[in-house]
Amino acid sequence: MLGYEFMQRAFWAGGLIGIIGPLLGVYLMLRRQVLMADTLSHVSLAGVALGSVLQLNPALSGFAVAVAGGLVIEQLRRSYRTYSELPVAIIMTTGLALAVVLMSLKQNLSKSFSSYLFGSIVAVSDTQLRLIAVVAAVGLAYFIVLRRPLYSLTFDEETASISGVRTGLLSFSFAVLTGMTVAAAMPVVGVLLVSALIVLPASLALRIASGFTAAILIAVSAGLLGVFSGLTASYYINTPPGGTIALILLLFLLAAIAAQRLIRLKRRHSKYRNPLHSGKSVQEI
Amino acid sequence: MILSSMRNVVFGYDEEPVIDRLSLDIEAGQFIGITGPNGAAKTTLLKLMLGLLRPWDGTVELNGELAADGKLNIGYVPQQIASFNTGFPSSVIELVRSGCYGRLGLFRRFTREQDELVERCLRQVEMWDYRNRRIGELSGGQKQRICIARALTQQPQVLVLDEPTTGMDAASRTGFYKLMRHYVNAHGRTVIMVTHGLEEAGAYLDSVISLERKEKEGWTCLVTNSCSAHFGPED
Repeated sequence: MLGYEFMQRAFWAGGLIGIIGPLLGVYLMLRRQVLMADTLSHVSLAGVALGSVLQLNPALSGFAVAVAGGLVIEQLRRSYRTYSELPVAIIMTTGLALAVVLMSLKQNLSKSFSSYLFGSIVAVSDTQLRLIAVVAAVGLAYFIVLRRPLYSLTFDEETASISGVRTGLLSFSFAVLTGMTVAAAMPVVGVLLVSALIVLPASLALRIASGFTAAILIAVSAGLLGVFSGLTASYYINTPPGGTIALILLLFLLAAIAAQRLIRLKRRHSKYRNPLHSGKSVQEI
Repeated sequence: MILSSMRNVVFGYDEEPVIDRLSLDIEAGQFIGITGPNGAAKTTLLKLMLGLLRPWDGTVELNGELAADGKLNIGYVPQQIASFNTGFPSSVIELVRSGCYGRLGLFRRFTREQDELVERCLRQVEMWDYRNRRIGELSGGQKQRICIARALTQQPQVLVLDEPTTGMDAASRTGFYKLMRHYVNAHGRTVIMVTHGLEEAGAYLDSVISLERKEKEGWTCLVTNSCSAHFGPED
Protein backbone atom coordinates (compact mmCIF):
# COMPACT_ATOMS: atom_id res chain seq x y z
CA MET A 1 0.00 0.00 0.00
CA LEU A 2 2.75 2.46 0.96
CA GLY A 3 4.58 1.68 -2.29
CA TYR A 4 2.16 4.04 -4.05
CA GLU A 5 3.16 7.68 -3.96
CA PHE A 6 -0.46 8.85 -3.62
CA MET A 7 -0.87 6.72 -0.50
CA GLN A 8 2.35 8.09 0.98
CA ARG A 9 1.02 11.63 0.43
CA ALA A 10 -2.33 10.61 1.91
CA PHE A 11 -0.65 9.26 5.05
CA TRP A 12 1.47 12.41 5.42
CA ALA A 13 -1.53 14.72 4.97
CA GLY A 14 -3.74 12.62 7.22
CA GLY A 15 -1.07 12.35 9.89
CA LEU A 16 -0.53 16.11 9.99
CA ILE A 17 -4.25 16.89 10.20
CA GLY A 18 -4.65 14.00 12.64
CA ILE A 19 -2.34 15.85 15.04
CA ILE A 20 -3.46 19.45 14.69
CA GLY A 21 -7.23 18.80 14.28
CA PRO A 22 -7.80 16.96 17.57
CA LEU A 23 -5.47 19.38 19.40
CA LEU A 24 -7.57 22.29 18.20
CA GLY A 25 -10.71 20.31 18.95
CA VAL A 26 -9.93 20.04 22.67
CA TYR A 27 -9.72 23.83 22.99
CA LEU A 28 -12.78 24.42 20.77
CA MET A 29 -14.91 22.09 22.87
CA LEU A 30 -13.79 23.64 26.13
CA ARG A 31 -14.48 27.13 24.76
CA ARG A 32 -18.03 26.03 23.82
CA GLN A 33 -17.21 26.62 20.15
CA VAL A 34 -17.61 23.07 18.95
CA LEU A 35 -19.69 24.08 15.92
CA MET A 36 -17.05 26.56 14.79
CA ALA A 37 -15.18 23.94 12.75
CA ASP A 38 -18.36 22.91 10.96
CA THR A 39 -19.28 26.53 10.32
CA LEU A 40 -15.87 27.47 8.98
CA SER A 41 -15.90 24.51 6.65
CA HIS A 42 -19.11 25.90 5.11
CA VAL A 43 -17.57 29.35 4.96
CA SER A 44 -14.50 27.84 3.34
CA LEU A 45 -16.71 26.15 0.76
CA ALA A 46 -18.11 29.59 -0.11
CA GLY A 47 -14.49 30.75 -0.52
CA VAL A 48 -13.77 27.87 -2.87
CA ALA A 49 -16.82 28.79 -4.94
CA LEU A 50 -15.80 32.45 -4.93
CA GLY A 51 -12.31 31.53 -6.12
CA SER A 52 -13.74 29.48 -8.98
CA VAL A 53 -16.07 32.27 -10.05
CA LEU A 54 -13.29 34.89 -9.89
CA GLN A 55 -10.77 32.59 -11.64
CA LEU A 56 -8.55 32.38 -8.51
CA ASN A 57 -6.96 29.30 -6.95
CA PRO A 58 -10.00 27.76 -5.15
CA ALA A 59 -7.87 26.16 -2.40
CA LEU A 60 -6.24 29.47 -1.51
CA SER A 61 -9.47 31.49 -1.71
CA GLY A 62 -11.18 28.87 0.50
CA PHE A 63 -8.29 29.20 2.94
CA ALA A 64 -8.46 33.02 3.05
CA VAL A 65 -12.24 33.12 3.46
CA ALA A 66 -12.13 30.52 6.28
CA VAL A 67 -9.58 32.63 8.18
CA ALA A 68 -11.71 35.76 7.64
CA GLY A 69 -14.78 33.80 8.82
CA GLY A 70 -12.95 32.83 12.02
CA LEU A 71 -12.20 36.48 12.73
CA VAL A 72 -15.81 37.56 12.09
CA ILE A 73 -17.12 34.83 14.42
CA GLU A 74 -14.73 35.94 17.17
CA GLN A 75 -15.81 39.57 16.76
CA LEU A 76 -19.49 38.58 16.88
CA ARG A 77 -18.85 36.34 19.91
CA ARG A 78 -17.76 39.44 21.79
CA SER A 79 -21.01 41.19 20.87
CA TYR A 80 -23.22 38.22 21.81
CA ARG A 81 -21.55 37.04 25.00
CA THR A 82 -24.76 35.60 26.42
CA TYR A 83 -25.64 33.70 23.23
CA SER A 84 -22.20 32.61 22.06
CA GLU A 85 -23.67 29.99 19.67
CA LEU A 86 -25.65 32.66 17.80
CA PRO A 87 -22.77 34.10 15.71
CA VAL A 88 -21.77 30.57 14.74
CA ALA A 89 -25.30 29.87 13.47
CA ILE A 90 -25.42 33.19 11.60
CA ILE A 91 -22.09 32.61 9.86
CA MET A 92 -22.92 28.98 9.04
CA THR A 93 -26.15 30.00 7.30
CA THR A 94 -24.39 32.81 5.47
CA GLY A 95 -21.53 30.56 4.35
CA LEU A 96 -23.81 27.83 3.03
CA ALA A 97 -26.12 30.30 1.29
CA LEU A 98 -23.17 32.03 -0.39
CA ALA A 99 -21.68 28.71 -1.46
CA VAL A 100 -24.95 27.53 -3.05
CA VAL A 101 -25.51 30.82 -4.89
CA LEU A 102 -21.91 31.09 -6.11
CA MET A 103 -21.92 27.44 -7.24
CA SER A 104 -24.98 28.08 -9.35
CA LEU A 105 -23.07 30.78 -11.25
CA LYS A 106 -20.67 28.17 -12.66
CA GLN A 107 -22.29 25.11 -14.16
CA ASN A 108 -19.18 22.87 -14.30
CA LEU A 109 -18.29 23.24 -10.64
CA SER A 110 -20.29 20.36 -9.23
CA LYS A 111 -17.58 17.73 -9.85
CA SER A 112 -14.76 19.63 -8.14
CA PHE A 113 -17.12 20.51 -5.29
CA SER A 114 -17.78 16.85 -4.57
CA SER A 115 -14.06 16.49 -3.70
CA TYR A 116 -14.41 19.30 -1.16
CA LEU A 117 -17.66 17.91 0.21
CA PHE A 118 -16.52 14.33 0.69
CA GLY A 119 -12.74 14.61 0.74
CA SER A 120 -10.16 13.23 -1.65
CA ILE A 121 -7.18 12.48 0.53
CA VAL A 122 -5.76 10.00 -1.97
CA ALA A 123 -5.71 12.81 -4.52
CA VAL A 124 -3.86 15.33 -2.33
CA SER A 125 -1.55 17.42 -4.50
CA ASP A 126 1.97 18.53 -3.55
CA THR A 127 0.70 22.12 -3.10
CA GLN A 128 -2.06 20.96 -0.75
CA LEU A 129 0.39 18.80 1.18
CA ARG A 130 2.77 21.74 1.60
CA LEU A 131 -0.11 23.93 2.79
CA ILE A 132 -1.15 21.30 5.32
CA ALA A 133 2.47 20.94 6.52
CA VAL A 134 2.81 24.71 7.04
CA VAL A 135 -0.52 24.93 8.92
CA ALA A 136 0.38 21.93 11.10
CA ALA A 137 3.81 23.40 11.92
CA VAL A 138 2.35 26.82 12.75
CA GLY A 139 -0.42 25.22 14.81
CA LEU A 140 1.93 22.98 16.77
CA ALA A 141 4.28 25.88 17.52
CA TYR A 142 1.26 27.99 18.58
CA PHE A 143 -0.07 25.37 20.99
CA ILE A 144 3.34 24.57 22.46
CA VAL A 145 4.52 28.17 22.96
CA LEU A 146 1.18 29.51 24.21
CA ARG A 147 0.06 26.46 26.20
CA ARG A 148 0.04 28.34 29.53
CA PRO A 149 -1.98 31.41 28.50
CA LEU A 150 -4.28 29.17 26.43
CA TYR A 151 -4.95 27.00 29.48
CA SER A 152 -5.84 30.08 31.54
CA LEU A 153 -8.00 31.54 28.76
CA THR A 154 -9.84 28.25 28.25
CA PHE A 155 -10.54 27.79 31.96
CA ASP A 156 -11.92 31.29 32.50
CA GLU A 157 -11.53 34.36 30.30
CA GLU A 158 -12.10 36.95 33.04
CA THR A 159 -9.55 35.59 35.49
CA ALA A 160 -7.08 35.13 32.63
CA SER A 161 -7.55 38.76 31.61
CA ILE A 162 -6.97 40.02 35.16
CA SER A 163 -3.88 37.88 35.64
CA GLY A 164 -2.30 39.58 32.63
CA VAL A 165 -3.18 37.30 29.68
CA ARG A 166 -3.94 39.35 26.55
CA THR A 167 -7.22 37.55 26.02
CA GLY A 168 -8.39 39.57 23.01
CA LEU A 169 -5.23 38.94 20.99
CA LEU A 170 -5.14 35.29 22.02
CA SER A 171 -8.79 34.72 21.08
CA PHE A 172 -8.37 36.34 17.68
CA SER A 173 -5.18 34.37 16.92
CA PHE A 174 -7.01 31.21 17.97
CA ALA A 175 -9.83 32.04 15.54
CA VAL A 176 -7.28 32.55 12.74
CA LEU A 177 -5.65 29.19 13.50
CA THR A 178 -9.07 27.50 13.51
CA GLY A 179 -9.82 28.94 10.06
CA MET A 180 -6.41 27.83 8.77
CA THR A 181 -6.80 24.30 10.13
CA VAL A 182 -10.32 23.84 8.78
CA ALA A 183 -9.27 25.07 5.34
CA ALA A 184 -6.22 22.80 5.34
CA ALA A 185 -8.25 19.79 6.52
CA MET A 186 -10.87 20.18 3.77
CA PRO A 187 -9.00 18.32 1.02
CA VAL A 188 -8.23 15.53 3.49
CA VAL A 189 -11.66 14.62 4.81
CA GLY A 190 -13.98 17.05 3.03
CA VAL A 191 -16.27 19.77 4.32
CA LEU A 192 -18.87 17.35 5.62
CA LEU A 193 -16.38 15.43 7.77
CA VAL A 194 -13.93 18.13 8.81
CA SER A 195 -15.67 18.69 12.11
CA ALA A 196 -15.62 14.93 12.77
CA LEU A 197 -11.82 14.92 12.77
CA ILE A 198 -11.75 17.94 15.08
CA VAL A 199 -14.62 17.00 17.39
CA LEU A 200 -14.63 13.18 17.76
CA PRO A 201 -11.08 12.63 19.12
CA ALA A 202 -11.57 15.60 21.47
CA SER A 203 -14.91 14.20 22.68
CA LEU A 204 -13.24 10.90 23.45
CA ALA A 205 -10.34 12.58 25.26
CA LEU A 206 -12.51 14.86 27.40
CA ARG A 207 -14.54 11.84 28.46
CA ILE A 208 -11.68 9.69 29.71
CA ALA A 209 -8.71 11.99 30.46
CA SER A 210 -7.66 12.49 34.06
CA GLY A 211 -5.97 15.83 33.39
CA PHE A 212 -5.47 18.52 30.76
CA THR A 213 -2.17 17.23 29.35
CA ALA A 214 -3.62 13.73 29.25
CA ALA A 215 -6.65 15.04 27.31
CA ILE A 216 -4.39 16.61 24.68
CA LEU A 217 -2.29 13.43 24.31
CA ILE A 218 -5.33 11.14 24.11
CA ALA A 219 -7.03 13.36 21.50
CA VAL A 220 -3.93 13.46 19.28
CA SER A 221 -3.33 9.70 19.64
CA ALA A 222 -6.95 8.90 18.80
CA GLY A 223 -6.83 11.30 15.82
CA LEU A 224 -3.67 9.73 14.41
CA LEU A 225 -4.88 6.19 14.99
CA GLY A 226 -8.25 7.01 13.39
CA VAL A 227 -6.69 8.59 10.32
CA PHE A 228 -4.13 5.79 9.74
CA SER A 229 -6.54 2.93 10.35
CA GLY A 230 -9.24 4.69 8.29
CA LEU A 231 -6.88 5.15 5.36
CA THR A 232 -5.71 1.54 5.55
CA ALA A 233 -9.26 0.22 5.76
CA SER A 234 -10.44 2.39 2.88
CA TYR A 235 -7.54 1.13 0.73
CA TYR A 236 -8.29 -2.54 1.31
CA ILE A 237 -12.09 -2.49 1.33
CA ASN A 238 -12.37 0.26 -1.29
CA THR A 239 -14.49 2.77 0.65
CA PRO A 240 -14.31 6.61 0.63
CA PRO A 241 -11.38 7.55 2.95
CA GLY A 242 -13.04 10.57 4.60
CA GLY A 243 -16.16 8.70 5.60
CA THR A 244 -14.15 5.68 6.74
CA ILE A 245 -11.92 7.83 8.97
CA ALA A 246 -14.95 9.53 10.54
CA LEU A 247 -16.74 6.22 11.15
CA ILE A 248 -13.65 4.71 12.78
CA LEU A 249 -13.31 7.77 15.03
CA LEU A 250 -16.96 7.37 15.96
CA LEU A 251 -16.32 3.70 16.77
CA PHE A 252 -13.42 4.75 19.03
CA LEU A 253 -15.73 7.15 20.87
CA LEU A 254 -18.50 4.56 21.29
CA ALA A 255 -15.98 1.96 22.44
CA ALA A 256 -14.52 4.41 24.98
CA ILE A 257 -17.99 5.25 26.35
CA ALA A 258 -18.86 1.54 26.62
CA ALA A 259 -15.50 0.66 28.24
CA GLN A 260 -15.84 3.52 30.73
CA ARG A 261 -19.33 2.35 31.73
CA LEU A 262 -18.18 -1.24 32.10
CA ILE A 263 -15.23 -0.22 34.28
CA ARG A 264 -17.49 1.92 36.49
CA LEU A 265 -20.02 -0.89 36.80
CA LYS A 266 -17.28 -3.37 37.66
CA ARG A 267 -15.82 -1.06 40.31
CA ARG A 268 -19.24 -0.44 41.83
CA HIS A 269 -19.98 -4.14 41.78
CA SER A 270 -16.69 -5.10 43.46
CA LYS A 271 -17.20 -2.40 46.10
CA TYR A 272 -20.71 -3.39 47.11
CA ARG A 273 -20.53 -7.14 46.53
CA ASN A 274 -18.10 -7.82 49.39
CA PRO A 275 -20.42 -6.98 52.33
CA LEU A 276 -23.04 -9.39 50.95
CA HIS A 277 -20.44 -12.13 50.63
CA SER A 278 -19.11 -11.73 54.14
CA GLY A 279 -22.32 -10.81 55.91
CA LYS A 280 -26.04 -11.41 55.74
CA SER A 281 -28.36 -10.68 52.85
CA VAL A 282 -30.98 -7.95 53.12
CA GLN A 283 -33.73 -10.52 53.63
CA GLU A 284 -31.83 -12.17 56.46
CA ILE A 285 -31.39 -8.86 58.26
CA MET B 1 -2.74 54.35 51.26
CA ILE B 2 -5.63 54.35 48.77
CA LEU B 3 -5.85 51.19 46.66
CA SER B 4 -8.80 52.01 44.44
CA SER B 5 -10.48 55.29 43.78
CA MET B 6 -13.80 55.78 41.98
CA ARG B 7 -15.12 59.21 41.13
CA ASN B 8 -18.69 59.93 39.98
CA VAL B 9 -18.95 56.50 38.38
CA VAL B 10 -22.09 55.79 36.35
CA PHE B 11 -22.73 52.35 34.87
CA GLY B 12 -25.68 50.28 33.64
CA TYR B 13 -26.45 47.34 31.38
CA ASP B 14 -29.38 48.77 29.44
CA GLU B 15 -30.68 52.31 29.48
CA GLU B 16 -30.95 52.83 33.24
CA PRO B 17 -27.80 52.99 35.35
CA VAL B 18 -27.38 50.43 38.14
CA ILE B 19 -24.61 52.52 39.67
CA ASP B 20 -25.28 56.22 39.58
CA ARG B 21 -22.54 58.73 40.42
CA LEU B 22 -20.70 56.60 42.97
CA SER B 23 -17.51 57.90 44.53
CA LEU B 24 -15.55 55.41 46.59
CA ASP B 25 -12.08 55.10 48.07
CA ILE B 26 -10.77 51.73 49.19
CA GLU B 27 -7.80 51.54 51.56
CA ALA B 28 -4.97 49.09 50.93
CA GLY B 29 -3.96 46.46 53.49
CA GLN B 30 -7.46 45.65 54.69
CA PHE B 31 -10.01 42.85 54.59
CA ILE B 32 -13.04 44.52 53.05
CA GLY B 33 -16.52 43.08 52.63
CA ILE B 34 -19.06 44.23 50.04
CA THR B 35 -22.61 43.32 50.93
CA GLY B 36 -26.16 44.03 49.80
CA PRO B 37 -29.27 42.28 48.46
CA ASN B 38 -29.46 40.50 45.10
CA GLY B 39 -29.22 42.97 42.24
CA ALA B 40 -27.48 45.59 44.37
CA ALA B 41 -24.63 45.77 41.78
CA LYS B 42 -22.01 44.20 44.06
CA THR B 43 -20.43 42.17 41.25
CA THR B 44 -20.73 45.15 38.91
CA LEU B 45 -18.83 47.25 41.45
CA LEU B 46 -16.05 44.64 41.55
CA LYS B 47 -15.84 44.39 37.78
CA LEU B 48 -15.67 48.17 37.44
CA MET B 49 -12.87 48.21 40.00
CA LEU B 50 -10.99 45.51 38.09
CA GLY B 51 -11.44 47.18 34.71
CA LEU B 52 -13.57 44.32 33.32
CA LEU B 53 -16.37 46.86 32.76
CA ARG B 54 -15.96 50.42 31.55
CA PRO B 55 -18.05 53.10 33.29
CA TRP B 56 -20.45 55.23 31.24
CA ASP B 57 -19.11 58.21 33.07
CA GLY B 58 -16.62 59.00 35.83
CA THR B 59 -13.21 57.50 36.58
CA VAL B 60 -11.90 54.32 38.20
CA GLU B 61 -8.27 54.15 39.23
CA LEU B 62 -6.12 51.45 40.80
CA ASN B 63 -3.05 52.69 42.61
CA GLY B 64 -0.07 51.31 40.71
CA GLU B 65 2.34 52.76 43.30
CA LEU B 66 1.55 49.78 45.50
CA ALA B 67 3.49 47.56 43.08
CA ALA B 68 7.23 47.80 42.51
CA ASP B 69 6.82 47.65 38.72
CA GLY B 70 3.72 49.86 38.70
CA LYS B 71 1.50 46.92 37.78
CA LEU B 72 -0.67 45.49 40.53
CA ASN B 73 -0.81 41.72 40.83
CA ILE B 74 -4.50 40.96 41.32
CA GLY B 75 -5.99 37.56 42.09
CA TYR B 76 -9.65 37.21 41.15
CA VAL B 77 -12.16 34.47 41.91
CA PRO B 78 -15.43 35.26 40.11
CA GLN B 79 -18.89 34.27 41.33
CA GLN B 80 -19.30 30.48 41.18
CA ILE B 81 -16.40 30.11 38.77
CA ALA B 82 -16.16 26.44 39.64
CA SER B 83 -19.70 25.51 38.69
CA PHE B 84 -19.38 27.31 35.35
CA ASN B 85 -16.79 25.00 33.84
CA THR B 86 -17.61 21.63 35.37
CA GLY B 87 -16.40 19.52 32.47
CA PHE B 88 -12.93 21.05 32.34
CA PRO B 89 -10.56 18.07 32.05
CA SER B 90 -8.01 19.24 34.57
CA SER B 91 -6.63 17.69 37.73
CA VAL B 92 -6.73 19.80 40.89
CA ILE B 93 -2.96 20.29 40.93
CA GLU B 94 -2.84 21.30 37.25
CA LEU B 95 -5.40 24.01 37.90
CA VAL B 96 -3.75 25.34 41.04
CA ARG B 97 -0.29 25.34 39.40
CA SER B 98 -1.71 27.54 36.64
CA GLY B 99 -1.84 30.34 39.23
CA CYS B 100 1.96 30.56 38.85
CA TYR B 101 1.84 31.02 35.06
CA GLY B 102 1.81 34.83 35.30
CA ARG B 103 5.22 34.87 37.01
CA LEU B 104 6.65 31.99 34.99
CA GLY B 105 5.81 33.46 31.59
CA LEU B 106 5.82 31.15 28.59
CA PHE B 107 8.86 28.96 29.14
CA ARG B 108 10.33 29.17 32.67
CA ARG B 109 10.13 25.91 34.59
CA PHE B 110 8.54 25.50 38.00
CA THR B 111 11.04 25.95 40.80
CA ARG B 112 11.04 24.01 44.06
CA GLU B 113 9.74 27.15 45.85
CA GLN B 114 6.78 27.31 43.47
CA ASP B 115 6.00 23.64 43.97
CA GLU B 116 6.10 24.24 47.73
CA LEU B 117 3.85 27.28 47.32
CA VAL B 118 1.30 25.22 45.39
CA GLU B 119 1.36 22.57 48.11
CA ARG B 120 1.04 25.18 50.87
CA CYS B 121 -1.94 26.87 49.19
CA LEU B 122 -3.68 23.54 48.64
CA ARG B 123 -3.08 22.58 52.27
CA GLN B 124 -4.38 25.97 53.43
CA VAL B 125 -7.73 25.26 51.79
CA GLU B 126 -7.54 21.60 52.92
CA MET B 127 -7.47 20.20 49.39
CA TRP B 128 -3.95 18.70 49.20
CA ASP B 129 -5.31 15.15 49.50
CA TYR B 130 -7.44 15.76 46.41
CA ARG B 131 -4.57 17.05 44.25
CA ASN B 132 -4.74 14.25 41.67
CA ARG B 133 -8.52 14.21 41.38
CA ARG B 134 -10.25 15.59 38.30
CA ILE B 135 -11.97 18.89 39.15
CA GLY B 136 -15.28 17.70 37.67
CA GLU B 137 -15.47 15.02 40.39
CA LEU B 138 -15.41 17.56 43.23
CA SER B 139 -18.35 19.13 45.04
CA GLY B 140 -19.22 22.80 44.55
CA GLY B 141 -17.57 23.86 47.81
CA GLN B 142 -14.40 21.89 47.01
CA LYS B 143 -14.18 23.45 43.55
CA GLN B 144 -14.56 26.87 45.11
CA ARG B 145 -11.69 26.09 47.49
CA ILE B 146 -9.31 25.04 44.72
CA CYS B 147 -10.15 28.20 42.77
CA ILE B 148 -9.18 30.17 45.89
CA ALA B 149 -5.95 28.14 46.19
CA ARG B 150 -5.22 28.96 42.53
CA ALA B 151 -5.67 32.68 43.23
CA LEU B 152 -3.40 32.41 46.31
CA THR B 153 -0.56 30.82 44.30
CA GLN B 154 -0.50 34.02 42.27
CA GLN B 155 0.67 35.68 45.52
CA PRO B 156 -1.43 38.71 44.62
CA GLN B 157 -1.15 42.08 46.31
CA VAL B 158 -4.93 42.34 46.01
CA LEU B 159 -7.27 39.38 46.23
CA VAL B 160 -10.77 40.00 44.85
CA LEU B 161 -13.38 37.36 45.68
CA ASP B 162 -17.00 37.29 44.54
CA GLU B 163 -19.06 35.22 47.00
CA PRO B 164 -16.14 32.84 47.57
CA THR B 165 -17.79 30.76 50.29
CA THR B 166 -20.74 29.63 48.14
CA GLY B 167 -21.16 25.87 48.62
CA MET B 168 -18.76 25.66 51.59
CA ASP B 169 -19.83 24.16 54.92
CA ALA B 170 -19.71 26.27 58.13
CA ALA B 171 -16.32 24.95 59.30
CA SER B 172 -14.74 25.60 55.89
CA ARG B 173 -16.18 29.12 55.81
CA THR B 174 -14.72 29.95 59.23
CA GLY B 175 -11.36 28.48 58.20
CA PHE B 176 -11.46 30.54 55.04
CA TYR B 177 -12.19 33.83 56.86
CA LYS B 178 -9.33 33.12 59.27
CA LEU B 179 -7.00 32.41 56.35
CA MET B 180 -7.91 35.70 54.66
CA ARG B 181 -7.45 37.55 57.96
CA HIS B 182 -3.98 36.00 58.27
CA TYR B 183 -3.22 36.91 54.65
CA VAL B 184 -3.97 40.56 55.40
CA ASN B 185 -2.27 40.72 58.83
CA ALA B 186 0.88 38.74 58.08
CA HIS B 187 1.53 39.76 54.47
CA GLY B 188 -0.03 43.23 54.33
CA ARG B 189 -2.20 42.26 51.36
CA THR B 190 -5.67 43.56 50.53
CA VAL B 191 -8.69 41.27 50.32
CA ILE B 192 -11.97 42.49 48.84
CA MET B 193 -14.85 40.06 49.17
CA VAL B 194 -18.48 40.15 48.13
CA THR B 195 -20.48 38.28 50.76
CA HIS B 196 -24.02 37.61 51.90
CA GLY B 197 -22.80 36.15 55.19
CA LEU B 198 -22.02 39.31 57.11
CA GLU B 199 -23.10 37.69 60.39
CA GLU B 200 -20.31 35.14 60.04
CA ALA B 201 -17.69 37.17 58.24
CA GLY B 202 -18.28 40.49 60.00
CA ALA B 203 -15.93 39.74 62.90
CA TYR B 204 -13.01 39.20 60.52
CA LEU B 205 -13.55 42.26 58.31
CA ASP B 206 -11.90 45.68 58.65
CA SER B 207 -14.50 47.49 56.58
CA VAL B 208 -17.88 46.82 55.02
CA ILE B 209 -19.30 48.46 51.93
CA SER B 210 -23.05 47.97 52.13
CA LEU B 211 -25.13 48.59 49.02
CA GLU B 212 -28.80 49.08 49.82
CA ARG B 213 -31.94 50.22 48.02
CA LYS B 214 -34.17 52.81 49.67
CA GLU B 215 -37.72 53.29 48.38
CA LYS B 216 -37.45 56.97 47.48
CA GLU B 217 -33.74 57.68 47.46
CA GLY B 218 -32.71 54.87 45.06
CA TRP B 219 -29.41 53.10 45.71
CA THR B 220 -27.25 54.10 48.64
CA CYS B 221 -23.80 52.97 49.59
CA LEU B 222 -23.19 52.78 53.33
CA VAL B 223 -19.60 52.30 54.40
CA THR B 224 -18.20 51.43 57.78
CA ASN B 225 -14.70 52.15 59.02
CA SER B 226 -11.98 53.36 56.72
CA CYS B 227 -13.55 53.14 53.27
CA SER B 228 -15.33 56.27 52.18
CA ALA B 229 -18.03 56.55 49.60
CA HIS B 230 -21.04 58.55 48.58
CA PHE B 231 -23.54 58.80 45.76
CA GLY B 232 -24.00 62.11 44.02
CA PRO B 233 -21.71 64.66 42.36
CA GLU B 234 -18.24 64.98 43.84
CA ASP B 235 -17.52 68.46 45.21
